[in-house]
Amino acid sequence: MQLDPVTIQVLWQRLISIVDEAATGLIRTAYTPSVKEYNDFCCAVFDRDANMLAHSTVTTAGFLGIVPEVMRNFVKIHPPESLEPGDVIITNDPWLASGHLIDISIASPIFHQGRIAGYTLCIVHHLDMGGRMSTLESKNIYEEGLKIPVLKLYEAGRLNRAIFDFMRANIRVPDKVLGDVRAQLVANHVCTRELVKLLREYQLDGLEDLAHEIIERSDASLRAKIRKIPQGTYRNEITLPPIPSCPERVTIKAAVTVKDGEVLIDYAGTSGEVGAAINCVLNMTRSYSAYPIKLALDPTVPNNDGAMRPIKVVAPLGSVVNCRPPVATWGRTMISHLFPEIIFGALEAAMPELVLGANGGCPANEIYLHGRRRRDGRAFLAIQQHSGGFGASHRYDGYSTLCFPNNTRNIPVEVTENEAPVRFLRKELVADSGGPGLNRGGLGQNVEFVVLDGDAGPEEFVEGSVRLNGRAETGDFPLQGRCGGGNGRGGGLWLNEKPIDHGIYRRFWPNDTIRFQLGGGGGFGDAYMRDAALVANDVRAGLVSIEAAARDYGVVIDPETLDVVVTATEALRARGGPPQAIRRTA
Amino acid sequence: MQSRYRIGIDIGGTFTDFTVFGEHDGRIHVEKVLTSTAQPELAVLEGLAKLGKSLPDLLPNSDDVVHATTLVTNVVLEGKGARTALVTTKGFRDILEIGREVRYTVFDMFIRYPKPLVPRNLRFGVTERALSDGSIVEPLDEPELRRIAAELRAQSVEAVAICFLHSYRNPANEIRAAEILREELPGIEISASHEVQPEPKEYERTSTTVVDAYVKRVVSHYLEKLAEGLRTRAYRNNLFVMLSNGGTATVDTARRYPVQMLESGPAAGVEAAGFFGRLVGLGAILAFDMGGTTAKLCIVEDGRAARTRAFEVARVHRFIAGSGYPVTIPVYDLLEIGAGGGSIARINDLGLIEVGPASAGSNPGPACYGQGGENPTVTDADLVLGNLNADYFLGGEMALDKAVAEAAIKNKLADPTGLSVMEAASGIYQLVNENMAAAARIYITEKGKVAGRLTLVSSGGAGPGHAVDLARKLGIGRVVVPPHSGVMSSLGLLTAPLAFERSRSVHQLLDTADLPALDAMFADLERTAAALLPVDADMMFERSLELRYAGQDYALEIPIARATIDDEQRAKWKADFFAAYETQYGTVDAENPIEIAAVRSQVKQPTAAPRIKGHHGTADAPPKGRRALFVANTGAVAQVPVYERSTLRSGQTIAGPAVIEERESTTVIGAGDTVRVDGYGCLVVTVALPTAIVEADVTFEKLEA
Repeated sequence: MQLDPVTIQVLWQRLISIVDEAATGLIRTAYTPSVKEYNDFCCAVFDRDANMLAHSTVTTAGFLGIVPEVMRNFVKIHPPESLEPGDVIITNDPWLASGHLIDISIASPIFHQGRIAGYTLCIVHHLDMGGRMSTLESKNIYEEGLKIPVLKLYEAGRLNRAIFDFMRANIRVPDKVLGDVRAQLVANHVCTRELVKLLREYQLDGLEDLAHEIIERSDASLRAKIRKIPQGTYRNEITLPPIPSCPERVTIKAAVTVKDGEVLIDYAGTSGEVGAAINCVLNMTRSYSAYPIKLALDPTVPNNDGAMRPIKVVAPLGSVVNCRPPVATWGRTMISHLFPEIIFGALEAAMPELVLGANGGCPANEIYLHGRRRRDGRAFLAIQQHSGGFGASHRYDGYSTLCFPNNTRNIPVEVTENEAPVRFLRKELVADSGGPGLNRGGLGQNVEFVVLDGDAGPEEFVEGSVRLNGRAETGDFPLQGRCGGGNGRGGGLWLNEKPIDHGIYRRFWPNDTIRFQLGGGGGFGDAYMRDAALVANDVRAGLVSIEAAARDYGVVIDPETLDVVVTATEALRARGGPPQAIRRTA
Repeated sequence: MQSRYRIGIDIGGTFTDFTVFGEHDGRIHVEKVLTSTAQPELAVLEGLAKLGKSLPDLLPNSDDVVHATTLVTNVVLEGKGARTALVTTKGFRDILEIGREVRYTVFDMFIRYPKPLVPRNLRFGVTERALSDGSIVEPLDEPELRRIAAELRAQSVEAVAICFLHSYRNPANEIRAAEILREELPGIEISASHEVQPEPKEYERTSTTVVDAYVKRVVSHYLEKLAEGLRTRAYRNNLFVMLSNGGTATVDTARRYPVQMLESGPAAGVEAAGFFGRLVGLGAILAFDMGGTTAKLCIVEDGRAARTRAFEVARVHRFIAGSGYPVTIPVYDLLEIGAGGGSIARINDLGLIEVGPASAGSNPGPACYGQGGENPTVTDADLVLGNLNADYFLGGEMALDKAVAEAAIKNKLADPTGLSVMEAASGIYQLVNENMAAAARIYITEKGKVAGRLTLVSSGGAGPGHAVDLARKLGIGRVVVPPHSGVMSSLGLLTAPLAFERSRSVHQLLDTADLPALDAMFADLERTAAALLPVDADMMFERSLELRYAGQDYALEIPIARATIDDEQRAKWKADFFAAYETQYGTVDAENPIEIAAVRSQVKQPTAAPRIKGHHGTADAPPKGRRALFVANTGAVAQVPVYERSTLRSGQTIAGPAVIEERESTTVIGAGDTVRVDGYGCLVVTVALPTAIVEADVTFEKLEA
């Protein structure tokens, strides 16, 4: 059937609204804050050939490359002829699904007129899957918790209780986790109901014609945009700063080939798997590698298999970005969050108008504090995340303290203080931390808290860890600027004003003061080209100091009036820029 | 009998609407004039002058004037507020700029946010500290604050917001700081967070307080000028202002907390829908308002709409949550969609037709306005399809140009896609309705409702032309179009009670809560709220609790009885919380402890609602003519009867397809639909639903629990 441009749009919008409604069903019934606060889930609908047609508008970039592969893997193991109405398939296998055990994928076939018309899938980051709690220290996957192979959780509507029994016996909060599994079933149920309604309403036998239009048009749209980028192979190589508990140093090599409307990202030459929980399965590598391409080139086209088809991601099997069982994978974001920056770094010369400076907080930091409160004996677990400065772009200065490439809301100070026996002393911007440039990087922040004493304090101590990105203006893999922009600045962790390693579990005692800084974003373009009036504005606003205005931007500011001293500025700028900030060599 | 009137005035973005209710004769008079954006009071006085031509004794004989306005939003959007400073706990002055650190969309590398209303150099930290249990661990450093005050004077600030950590729990330091700043900075507006919105979460509370401080002076001046204008025109009584939570307040109260006026217009619309819901006995309704730029949806049950505090002002993208300044005042929980008469249709990068959210607005407006607009809009499609009459728009005051509408659709949509003009026009109509339906389905699911059990109540200029098709898409079987639906918000102003609300954050477990202390807290709230109403008012008190599971972020508002608080009451609160939680979230956890997050009290002075009556003739009105209409549910053009609404008698029925015209809007009904005019003059449409939609609960293989 030939569909006209109105019908295609109506039906496509309807598919998106169906998966969004499924997501609403999930959000309404789930317990875990990763669904409600961090959007760490994805609901998707597929045609009968397991092509992804739409996923929920609310999701995280981390699922981009994962969702289509999970469904394909499911039907490889449970082919359509083996499925019947009421079947539900489940797994948390990192290699077949989303890269760590804590994510559970659940899918169902959607039957219409006696045959499979499509599939529905819901993936959720859960509270617990047994094993060690949220640590990079695991040496292999057996330490990380329970693995659920690809199984039928329901067969023709009949529950396979053994799966729930195994789960219940292996996890710390089984009621909540199994409750969240049921929330996933609710999501899939909503998706199925609404899709069948759509097929009936429009008297469709299946989704093939619509799928063809969605996939071909999305594919063509991205290809057309890729063709505007000069063809060639663009390379980037970085060595990660030392990662706590990881004995090996990790080097990532990316070769990005732009050719014939396709982008091929090849990680050949990247370091091998490591004995810490930071290994990425290929699906995960694919997600955060495709994200910067989609973000830069075709962000408004709703995502589907077609929108991903022109992007190919390959990596040597056994490398840290295409790891094999049984390595540990919990903290894979220590690497995967860096792919957008690595790829922007490679493509900086090819598409300078579509790259971002480094994000000062990337990869995401994570703070765990737990223990017991003295006053009421109540156990607490307070999780926090704070962000660094956003990278500058060709168009704009970076915003201060804005999350990228993940997307996590901070927990308010008043909420954390209500939960955990700590008192914050500051949470404030760090002047001069933004990478200088024609457009300035966003500012990072300084956060400091003290463990309370006496009755308001912990029973004995607070146990926890502060994981940072370990990056700074200099050193291995600094917070890079783009196209001549300066690097972002900052980063560090201090206990009672002494520097300490991040990412290590420690005991914090009453009156211990913990301070950490998240860096500023990378700048964009030559700081000496920045309008002096904008520099003066930044000085007046307290974002850039008078000293930094002269040193980084060549702009002399009168300390009394805070106006630009024009002649002195011209003279300073005529002498040429400061020694280039530490730059990546291409 | 002497004439007595009540006047409702709603200043919208494009039009200022008036509803006058004659208390002596039960008659309703309406008026609509263009909004005078720079000085909104001028359009008010102009409209009153127009009404005065037929009602010469209007102002001297009016008992009250109730007013809703977009002014506060506009002041923020246009950056026309006061030069505002912020004083916070030392170490936290950047909270306003740090925000929640999250991106409102992950697919925009050039994401934009509004600039903080207070720049860093006007943000000051002062030594002071309270903890979350309310204990003060550092008193306010008064000399330090006085030094900051001197700096504020030197910087010639016009307003100061104060927000200290945990002041929602113990405001002592904040109260003292406000005293000192008032003393040091006479004539400068001060907003303190514990007064504006005493709720935890420092960013949201700071943002709300800053917006309040920022708009205070402008709002005050405006209200003074308006009151003065009315006084010089012989109006002797109170001027009331609609608040975002659906109550009205005197000018003196409104100007003390101007942030409460932000959503006054939409609140009036919800009040009006609730009024008709009660009047006609509709049960649960989906209020649907579609104007020039936006469509709004709100579920109103038994005259009561859910409220939320997830509100924002001055969004960078009007329809994207997270792109504006949070203002956590109670507002009706309504959904706003970028779909209106002015929504522009275009071909996107995928070669598909897209409608909205960009709008042609009122200038240049839709192509058919003939004001130079070249982009085809929803109104252009409505004209081409026969939903609108070129010669009867605004009762014929404004001629529409069908040829120009057709040309715009042909050039921009039909030719590039190979569709006919009619196909493209019907495509626009379908798409805009589908956009609204998609948003509505999710909104309805979020509220734990089933669409098929709701009645759609339509208002706004474009609403009645799209309501029936929208209802059909949603599986809603009944649509009600009240009389004067084109100016419904201004009518809602006359149905809302005079009310004011106060709340206090609590944090006690429900099972162990100190009941006498709660009693005392309510009494105190009621005292302070009652003080904001006129002294001679008849007062009604409504109490509610914000309850949640301990550790949860979001609370549910549970209305409770105003009775002595005892264990029996407490058991009932718990049962009500479980019921509400189950409706909202689908599950209940009986084990988890429940926490009281806040107590809330509203004081109301009820008003006499307008009586509405239909036209009780004996003979059915015949159609005034026939015209070609594209009937959306058959996909074919047919010659259909056109009725003049004002001639229809109560009890008359009309079978679709048909068109019913009135001055401010046109109701379009499809094949198989029927309309009955009820005793109040409402059009009650029974919608013919396709079987696929009726079978909403398709049977599935049931999964075992």
